[in-house]
Amino acid sequence: MVSENYEFVIKRKTEHGVSRQDRFLVPKKKISTVLEGLVYISENLDGTLSFRHSCRMEICGSCSMEINGKPKMACSTIAGSLGTGTIKVSPLPHYEVIKDLVVDIEPFFDKYRAVKPYVIRNNEDKPSSELLQTPEQFKLYEQYSMCIKCGLCLAACPISGSDEDYLGPAALAAALRFNLDSRDGGSGIRLEITDTDEGIARCHYAGECSEVCPKDVDPSKAIQLLRRAAISHELKKVFRRGAKGGK
Amino acid sequence: MSTEENGSGTRYKHGQRTTGSIQWLFQAASGVFIIFFLAVHLYVAHINGGSPIELFDTVVGNLRNPWWLAFFLAFLWIVTYHGLNGVKGVIYEMGITAKTRKLVSWGIIALFTVSVIYGTLLSLVVAQMTIP
Amino acid sequence: MGSNSGVIGWGNFFHKGIGYFAYTMHRISGIVIVLYLYLHFFVLSNLLKGGATFNSLITSFTYGPFDIFIVMDILLTLVIFYHGANGIRLMLNEFGLGLKHHKVMFYVLESAAMAVMLLFLYFAWQVLVSGGGV
Repeated sequence: MVSENYEFVIKRKTEHGVSRQDRFLVPKKKISTVLEGLVYISENLDGTLSFRHSCRMEICGSCSMEINGKPKMACSTIAGSLGTGTIKVSPLPHYEVIKDLVVDIEPFFDKYRAVKPYVIRNNEDKPSSELLQTPEQFKLYEQYSMCIKCGLCLAACPISGSDEDYLGPAALAAALRFNLDSRDGGSGIRLEITDTDEGIARCHYAGECSEVCPKDVDPSKAIQLLRRAAISHELKKVFRRGAKGGK
Repeated sequence: MSTEENGSGTRYKHGQRTTGSIQWLFQAASGVFIIFFLAVHLYVAHINGGSPIELFDTVVGNLRNPWWLAFFLAFLWIVTYHGLNGVKGVIYEMGITAKTRKLVSWGIIALFTVSVIYGTLLSLVVAQMTIP
Repeated sequence: MGSNSGVIGWGNFFHKGIGYFAYTMHRISGIVIVLYLYLHFFVLSNLLKGGATFNSLITSFTYGPFDIFIVMDILLTLVIFYHGANGIRLMLNEFGLGLKHHKVMFYVLESAAMAVMLLFLYFAWQVLVSGGGV
């Protein structure tokens, strides 16, 4: 007989740091996504369950958590598609847990901000009109601009798991996104920032960030392209210095 | 390099500025050399020699040939560089502090120097040995 | 941080993409090869002790009493060929080449390497059997 309920096994932690595991039975008829299951639990079974969510449609990037051992967005994970009646939910790995499924996402954003994710103009003058861009120029970086900062890539990356200062896939993909932007003039600055011993040098292309990315940003591809740009940037610097010294 | 002054409000402390991408280039290039060297080495040592193992006479004979000596010395230097550079990367990613990283870096450089000098001297000394 | 999976997390390639498996194995095989490199240095250092000692030492690894080392040698061959093939893929991929097909490249290069390895092992075994006795 097929069970009428999903069994949610949730790894929880109180604000005092006490860990425990809770089990909830959620009727299959009532929910379709894992996020709806969590909302059902907090509304009907246990009001103290903490988790972040907002848009329910994979836009805001709030409801990242580990579902059945994989970093996923709860809103876009259909409970029925998991193939099991037991749904194990735990907080996103590689982040500090604040309470229950809420993690401190601030380090992720610190790393993201560190690569200067905004258009840097070469000339200081205010542009007299809006900066125009052809569709072809937009297509160059469109894929990398789809990032919703959900932080799943950092949770999936093996290097982020052991080296917490590693910039991480999202930040490096953002660096490439702005380097490819035709309006941007800061690619040299960003290459200097990312080509450190905590930057692209730490990526060994395990590719798990691209596996879990809900928006198909393909951060691992971005990092490799960034590496190529960094190599030519470094070589150019060496040759320019050599040419100067020769004169 | 701190980013606090640019007003972006990040608390992230950047890693050491290195020639990381150039180091990667060296690692990749040495990898290509090793594939070539290892192919020759495996073929000569285990197939073409006619004997499954290189006995003392063969080794000394090979090393007396300056071409083979140069081949083995280049092999030794490049393979040691590639291997120890790889190990350095692995240790770097274990979540150690910048200070420990510097120590590890110097340790690896010292180990590389010692290994290469020892290996070179060994080859040169063995090349001078008499075949019984 | 307590929430980090640390070095143990590197080995957790189950239910993940093939790239993760390749990454873990590349790491392990690399370390094994470096350990072998130093073992190789050590064995070759015995050349200094003269022909008789060196010959009896390395013969013992191949024809007994320590011929169990042949199994180790075969495993080492596997590790080296794996590392080499994945290394070629990583070299191309990390330079931004063939990123679209990195999974196919892994399978193709590894199969090619394993085929070459079997060929090598076959010929080496022929030499081992026929060239025997020393």
